[in-house]
Amino acid sequence: MIDLRIKVDPLPIDEPLIVRLQAAGSPAQSDSDAILTEVEGDRREYELNGFSFAVYGANDTLDGDVLMMLPGTTTAHRLIRAGSKHNTLLVTEQCDQLCVMCSQPPKKYHTDLFEQFALAASLAPQGAMIGISGGEPLLHKDRLFRMLEDVKSRRPDVGFHILTNAQHLSTADLDMLQRLDHERILWGVPLYSATPENHDRIVGKSGAFANLERGLALLMRAGASLELRSVVMQQNWQDLPALADYVSTRLSFLTIWAIMQLERIGYARMNWRETFQDTSTEFEQIARAIDVATARGLKAALYNFPLCSVPPAYREYAPSTISDWKRKYLDFCLNCRAQKTCGGFFEWYSAPEGFASLGPL
Amino acid sequence: MPVVPLKFRPHTDELLIFADDAGGYFKSDHAFLHRYACGQLTSSDRAFLTANGHAYNSVGDLAFSGFEHRFAERLYLPRELDYVILVPTLRCNLACGYCQVSRVNETTPGFDWNDVTLEAVIKFLDSLSAKKIKVEFQGGEPLLRLDIITKVRDFCRQRFEACEIVICTNLQEVDAPAWDLLAEPDIFVSTSLDGNRITHQKQRTVTDRGTDRFFANLEFAVSHLGPEKISALPTLDPHRAPTPHEVIDTYLSYGIRSIYLRPVNHQGFARKKFDARTSAAAWNAYHASFIDALIEHNWSSEVAVEEYYFVHCLRRVLRSGHNGHVDLRNPNIVGLSYLVIDYDGKIYPTDEARMVTRVGQFDLSMGDVSTGVSPETIDSLNVEALNNFHPDCVHCPYQAFCGVDLVDDISRYGRIDLPKHLTDFCQRHMSIFDRIFAMIYSDDPKIQKTLALWSGAPRFDPLLAKVHR
Repeated sequence: MIDLRIKVDPLPIDEPLIVRLQAAGSPAQSDSDAILTEVEGDRREYELNGFSFAVYGANDTLDGDVLMMLPGTTTAHRLIRAGSKHNTLLVTEQCDQLCVMCSQPPKKYHTDLFEQFALAASLAPQGAMIGISGGEPLLHKDRLFRMLEDVKSRRPDVGFHILTNAQHLSTADLDMLQRLDHERILWGVPLYSATPENHDRIVGKSGAFANLERGLALLMRAGASLELRSVVMQQNWQDLPALADYVSTRLSFLTIWAIMQLERIGYARMNWRETFQDTSTEFEQIARAIDVATARGLKAALYNFPLCSVPPAYREYAPSTISDWKRKYLDFCLNCRAQKTCGGFFEWYSAPEGFASLGPL
Repeated sequence: MPVVPLKFRPHTDELLIFADDAGGYFKSDHAFLHRYACGQLTSSDRAFLTANGHAYNSVGDLAFSGFEHRFAERLYLPRELDYVILVPTLRCNLACGYCQVSRVNETTPGFDWNDVTLEAVIKFLDSLSAKKIKVEFQGGEPLLRLDIITKVRDFCRQRFEACEIVICTNLQEVDAPAWDLLAEPDIFVSTSLDGNRITHQKQRTVTDRGTDRFFANLEFAVSHLGPEKISALPTLDPHRAPTPHEVIDTYLSYGIRSIYLRPVNHQGFARKKFDARTSAAAWNAYHASFIDALIEHNWSSEVAVEEYYFVHCLRRVLRSGHNGHVDLRNPNIVGLSYLVIDYDGKIYPTDEARMVTRVGQFDLSMGDVSTGVSPETIDSLNVEALNNFHPDCVHCPYQAFCGVDLVDDISRYGRIDLPKHLTDFCQRHMSIFDRIFAMIYSDDPKIQKTLALWSGAPRFDPLLAKVHR
């Protein structure tokens, strides 16, 4: 596991500070660039606009990384790791849904850091794709849209993958949505069942399905790029073929339909026994969903499925998707010839409670 | 709850195929038809129509928008010009009986691009806004002008971000420099292989020596360039065609798994020699037996084989947005995203338009590469190139999957207003789509296996073959 926080000497700041770490001798390209001046053991000293600070303990390179330092604390957040494709900004922890498998359970209060996130994104490497997650980002949609526009004007090459429940879009947002760059913004929106009551039960909000249909229709009308996300659970296992049918009649504009395995953290860990569907022993409903979507010309993919849990005919649908910083492999993976193309397991995966039928390929 | 218009056609077992303008389809019975027509839909009818995408609650809701999207995606929208068919010479070293291109003898002067034409073509290519280009060399036999191919290739490579060059050659005379060119990574070979050796010799190569030479060259091409760089298609007369098994075996022996069956065309010399005008029925029967043979083959073989056009039609039934093939589009707008430049520098919207003009039926040219594109004639044709409102097509459940081919209508009948159901185009496509629906609604595991292979999915799911009662 890669630590996304690193220790720093406390800084005399009263506002959150965004810095980009640069290798020794690099020219500062912006006011936010800190240049490495000294390395001593696990201590690295940087100079930022005439004053210096130190970071500790990171064992990989930090060149190009963007950190956020908060007043009065000794840890900095590695918001953007230059060498990784898995950078995500957690823009709020508030949410209006309470999904049974939420990996990032919501909190009551919101700390607004959109300005800092906008600055961080504009310091990202060329062509970076940055995740935006929550909580529900669209609860603060004016701030979010301003950030997207701000970054687009400064760094049109930077793209965003925005995870949202699409509950809070209205026709008034259509202009804004149309102005965004559809090549560079991918909306990741969850849908768990084509039966409204089942979807509402899973997300813990009545009327969510009806809202979601309105939000998806708006995204379609705006020409947005959609990644539809359906986590597979005991709660929607029987619904998957009908969901594929629904997706192919209603949502044929989507870029990709992600059928996802559970991430055993947060509520998913708490509700694991009643939620986890062991797809290594029983795959039929997913197979049918993929069969229908593929014949209909839609691109379906399996996210977070170890390759050995998937029947051979469907392995080509399972790319490596688990983020590098929270990915692990099990002991038997050492003998597996598919490890290079397999996404492995979440750091918090527990073998005794997990897939029953696994093994090296 | 409004229901979108449904079109229908009798199918097997006393049932009917229903389909809407966006290509959503299902099978049901006459009782349902009666309820639908008389406004007596039951709640179970409504639930089915909603789930299957034929009904919505209000304009703009997700069911309505989803329908709109599938409908819109079925309409072909021409993109920028990025595909050019070049005919550097009409001369050919074969004289095939059905030749569609009105070729001339190898030694006849005056049927090649001159330096001025070549220069104008290069200038024309330079004027394109596309970043990638596809160039297809036809003829005549284009390898007779390797010098021109080389110059165009060199230009395209430095002018465009990517180029793909297809050489449509008879593979009859290929010298060492030509083999070197064909082996380059951005060059692809398209050739004719008329089913089996006997038919190929009868229709194309005439002598044993000529036939030996072709098959030796094909063998060499497959082994040195790789089967993935070679496409081959058989042009067949259904009355004198080899058996489907012979064709499949011949193609497989060269590692070619996609066969694009072509009937001898009603053009060029073919018009004089073959009875193509009334041959739709004979062709349909042969084509159907070919599909039977492929289903049998795919059931028992590890190596799946397809009939290219049938698979294209199947995918058009199953999905929207499958508009990549120039032979089946609606609206079939021509003269915009691809063009043909003939041996004399004249520009045509399609290869078929070139033949129609050459045999003197109609002038379907659209300018000259030196003086520029003049699209007036073609624009007036394009206005009619839509099947959505055609009085015959508007009642046809296959309308959304089908297309129009006005140049073919002109070529066969000299007019574009013949009732569509009387045209060869309609009769061939009705036969194909009838067959596709017979397969979709078949329980035969052999058919199911081939459907899965051809639809691109691991298995063919029953949700793709809904029956509502």
